[in-house]
Amino acid sequence: MAGSGHASLRNSENVLLSVRDLVVEFPISRKERVHAVSGVSFDVAEGETLGIVGESGCGKSTVARAIVQLNKITSGVVEYAGTDLAQLEGEDLRRVRPELQMIFQDPISSLNPRRRIRDVITEGLSIWNEGTGSWTQERIDELMNAVGIDPKFGDRRPHQFSGGQCQRIGIARALALDPKVLICDEPVSALDVSVQAQVLNIIEDMKVRYGLTILFISHDLSVVKNVSDRIIVMYLGKICEIGDAETIYGSPRHPYTRALLASIPEPAPTVDPSEGNIIGELPSPIHPPQGCRFNTRCPHATEICFSVEPTVNAVDGNDHFVACHHPVEVGVSLPA
Amino acid sequence: MSNAQLSVRDLEVRFPTSRGVVEAVNGVSFDLERGQMLGIVGESGSGKSVTAKTLMNLLPRTAEISGDIHFDGEDVRAIASGHRKHFWGVKMTMVFQDPMTSLNPVKRCGEQISETLRYHLGMSREAALKRSIDLLEQVGIPEPARRVKQYPHELSGGLRQRVVIAMALACEPELLIADEPTTAVDVTVQKRLLDLLDELRRDRGMSMILITHDLGVARGRCDEVAVMYAGRLVERAETEVLFSDARHPYTTALLRTIPRIDQPSHTRLVPIEGRPPELVNPPDQCSFAPRCRHAQADCLEGVPTLTNLDGNREFACRYPANTEAGRTSFFANEAAGQTVTGLTIAQPSEVN
Repeated sequence: MAGSGHASLRNSENVLLSVRDLVVEFPISRKERVHAVSGVSFDVAEGETLGIVGESGCGKSTVARAIVQLNKITSGVVEYAGTDLAQLEGEDLRRVRPELQMIFQDPISSLNPRRRIRDVITEGLSIWNEGTGSWTQERIDELMNAVGIDPKFGDRRPHQFSGGQCQRIGIARALALDPKVLICDEPVSALDVSVQAQVLNIIEDMKVRYGLTILFISHDLSVVKNVSDRIIVMYLGKICEIGDAETIYGSPRHPYTRALLASIPEPAPTVDPSEGNIIGELPSPIHPPQGCRFNTRCPHATEICFSVEPTVNAVDGNDHFVACHHPVEVGVSLPA
Repeated sequence: MSNAQLSVRDLEVRFPTSRGVVEAVNGVSFDLERGQMLGIVGESGSGKSVTAKTLMNLLPRTAEISGDIHFDGEDVRAIASGHRKHFWGVKMTMVFQDPMTSLNPVKRCGEQISETLRYHLGMSREAALKRSIDLLEQVGIPEPARRVKQYPHELSGGLRQRVVIAMALACEPELLIADEPTTAVDVTVQKRLLDLLDELRRDRGMSMILITHDLGVARGRCDEVAVMYAGRLVERAETEVLFSDARHPYTTALLRTIPRIDQPSHTRLVPIEGRPPELVNPPDQCSFAPRCRHAQADCLEGVPTLTNLDGNREFACRYPANTEAGRTSFFANEAAGQTVTGLTIAQPSEVN
């Protein structure tokens, strides 16, 4: 599944973040490399929530980290508001960073256990020399209220909070610098379901309140559907399918997307449960298959899938793109 | 219910700690018929894993256990004190959540399965290895003869969990307890593992207890589902009954809080406000009352007992959901804007 090509990029002034031909490889020896992300292109419009979904090892977290330059990019462009972040260095990169903030999977280990939570949230502002005035303290109180943490608990340390509360503190910290883009890497995977709903609602509220553009990464298909406007399905470092949330879930065209939707415990009504029976194991990202990367497990694979890598192509018109030589025909797209 | 294969009565497990006694499991009773699959669902700290470990005699010696556990008419706690070797691992076995930590990283997979066979069944090294290869084949591992010589780190997460399942099946157990067997794996792998467990259970007439936090998994696989909250069993019913017509407000709240794939994007979720109670010296009241939208004054007086209705469902609630009493109590709280425990209930017009 390949998924190179720019067909899915929108030529709109509204695009805030645009990733083109992103390649991230990690060397593991003199000869071999892990092909974590191989030629991924997509864009995020201002105010949109883009979900990235896929199984372990599909490269979704690497994409997120590469955007904020936490991973070194092998090649490609990460264009944010007209500048290529991959070309920025030192002070220039530092100046952009407040605009793109991230929240992480493990809420407890992503907070420094020795610091009071008010200091944790304020740190970004202190670094930018805004950490002392009463205006800052007001802003911190407002943020803590917004995420549902009583400001009077500001002197407590992370271990005195539950996992869900720590994740809210992480959100408040990310929002302190008034970012434009919030990148959420599996923000609710470590939380119990009753707490998961609280955190997801807060992310939605913050999006509206602070006008955020969100990149939301998760392996949980129902969670991604709940928060996203647009969704990317990834497999082994490539994009399989991009489309509106309703389209991806209502009329999935890529065999892998369909396999995912058929594998969840209560499968989507648009797919047959037997489509979830994909064979074999995930191939090694050190030696990914030639042609379409899904060819070793795909029930529809033919000769061309083993030799020619499919590109991302538009299907059905409305902003729906699939990287497959044999996209599954769906009849009437069912209402999701 | 005396013909049940496994019968648990009034199980209580307490752990003395420096902060006080943790009441991890509190009066849990259930029966499991031969060949059935019972799901136990609940969130972290609800006591589901401690219940499983008690059945498997795996708790540390500091744990204070009371109550009766009978398996095929035998008193399981007497077996524990009699140090009988060939009960756990033979008749009753368990599969754990994380396949990496339940396998020994410095032993080949074949040796680990053989160890069980040699210890419990007294097989020779050669016979045990041959049987290990058979077992790996039964759990759907390709090239089993090569895999027995590999170490766990050479296998993927899904394959490792299959090795663990093969070990658990080695002595043909009558009851398999699976504690979050698919939490650490991806959805496509999860489906294959659950299909495998289902198939093995049917072929062997084995009983199973499936412990999971994922209501979807329980719904798709179990005959009966028990819901635990704060160390207590709050509701138990046949799977379809539980999911279509739940009685305990915790069960209904849990079902509402999960994002569903058939809902449109940006559907507002209904969280369960507050957090689970402390298990140290819990007050003598319904443990869910502080978070419950049905709560009334008498919910704070004594723990509600598990009511058994016509044998196929029971729940511990005085104002159960989907009943007249439940509706009345909820509407009263809604009109007042809050419950007796101070939980705010948004007026319908304020819900966005």
